[in-house]
Amino acid sequence: MTAVTASRIVGARIAPTKDGPLGPLSAGWGAAVEVEVPLEPTPLEVQPSAYVRTAWADRKHGATPSVRAAAAVAGGVLHVRLRWKALNPRPAITDNNVFADACAVLFPLDGKGAELATMGDAAHPVQAWHWRAGTAIPFVIQATGLGTVTRQAPPHGVSVEATWNADEWSVVFSRPLEEQGVPIRGGATVPIGIAVWQGALEERAGLKSHTPGWLTLEVPA
Amino acid sequence: MGTATSRPARQLAMVFDLNKCLGCQSCSIACKTLWTDGPGMESMWWNIVNTMPGGGTPRDVFSHGGGYRDGQPVPGKFPAQREYGEAWDFDQQAVFSGSERIPLHPRERDGSTPSWGPNWDEDLGGGVYPDSFFFYLQQICANCSKPACLEACPREGLYRREEDGIILIDEERCNGYRFCAEACPYKRIYFNPQRAVAQKCIACYPRLEAGVAPACVRQCPGRVRHIDYMDNKEGHPHKLVNEWKVALPLRPDFGTEPNVFYVPPLAPSAFNEGGEFDDTKRRIPAEYLREMFGPGVDAALETIEREREKTTRGESSELMDILISRDWNDLMGPFTQNPAELIRPPVTR
Repeated sequence: MTAVTASRIVGARIAPTKDGPLGPLSAGWGAAVEVEVPLEPTPLEVQPSAYVRTAWADRKHGATPSVRAAAAVAGGVLHVRLRWKALNPRPAITDNNVFADACAVLFPLDGKGAELATMGDAAHPVQAWHWRAGTAIPFVIQATGLGTVTRQAPPHGVSVEATWNADEWSVVFSRPLEEQGVPIRGGATVPIGIAVWQGALEERAGLKSHTPGWLTLEVPA
Repeated sequence: MGTATSRPARQLAMVFDLNKCLGCQSCSIACKTLWTDGPGMESMWWNIVNTMPGGGTPRDVFSHGGGYRDGQPVPGKFPAQREYGEAWDFDQQAVFSGSERIPLHPRERDGSTPSWGPNWDEDLGGGVYPDSFFFYLQQICANCSKPACLEACPREGLYRREEDGIILIDEERCNGYRFCAEACPYKRIYFNPQRAVAQKCIACYPRLEAGVAPACVRQCPGRVRHIDYMDNKEGHPHKLVNEWKVALPLRPDFGTEPNVFYVPPLAPSAFNEGGEFDDTKRRIPAEYLREMFGPGVDAALETIEREREKTTRGESSELMDILISRDWNDLMGPFTQNPAELIRPPVTR
């Protein structure tokens, strides 16, 4: 399906196949509408470290202009796919000064209310599913504000599959609808944020491209 | 748990006497065998001794930025692992079993010949013959009072212990961002690529908690290292740093207020044109020592020389007694417990 620029990701319902989960290049994605989501650099002034603010004052970050996003539900499992061009792929951490490409999707933990720009607050935590190239298991993290990220130990129900193909990353996060955590149920409309890190530019932590506000993820009934 | 801005209730400090170091790396090996033999730690040397003047570890150790200037953070670099020195392989098989007679060669992971490593230029030193000079510089994490590493981390992955000022990395919180390693001007933070976390000297805090001195202190055959809390007025660090003022911070211009101090090297006198010692001329250039140890180095050296001359005349000198430490236990402040006498749980690794 042709990508269109939008702030709404409408999930498709796809019949489960015997091929297993929906992978990054599965034909099943043809039934989903992929949208192009513009990204912006995160503001430097809110980075919670004077060192980072100083060291990056004259450096470019947030170099990913957009990401293509799609969602689908197959067999009771939500799949969210992100695709983007990497400047120079960094598929793994191979040295002290090498940083891996990464992406994440962010949700209000209670499905509503949290501020994306602040990564939530004490009363409104957020949860992210974070993939870093070279790792097979995603990090599920929670935050109640900038600099407060904590990791949730597996099992957390979230899985990830990633492929580097045709100069772009294609990453699929998957989670059963009924899993504990962010209330993603059939028929729900859930705020979602997206972030991408370009390892080649040493982007990490809060230095990234992101959606400055929530998008809407419509989960098929 | 202390924060970057608050000072801890107590501060542990160490003094390394550069006039006594043998360069034997017993401290390095004691640390290595105790703490950094795990996966991903093969090339780590939390304690390292380098010949100075020299490139250090990593190469050009003090030129990678970090620390503070005029109170503001200075951007830094985290050199590649080859600049520290990888854990080399050696072609023992070819040397011992091959038909050709070949010397033993180290190899990088990719098979190439190393171009740098720990104390790579150990046999160089400085000066021009006959006024050649060198000294050994020991480095560990200095548990700085203004820790650039701790302040650089955007997610509080490092913390300072209230009871002794030791700075530790919380490996559960560390996400491997490596801002800490960039910000440390002494480059004493390593990265574990297998676990994607930063790791560094922990001041042997489990030993301290059992009353045992850090391995690098206890294993030093040269009795180079003194340790105590800085608030102990009878402790060697307080005496040497605050009273005698002969122990100085390394590169104080980095602005991090380190808590490892150094008794600067005297070295023999320079030669005069007749080939005799000229006691009025120092062999190590004063400007180099000032760069390394700050403006207090001239007075410190004068004090050491003055006190040494007193003992030469047969007089007593508290300073010389401290620096010599005839009783080994005097070096270790409150940490004199013999680890061999501790009841230890069986090793289960």
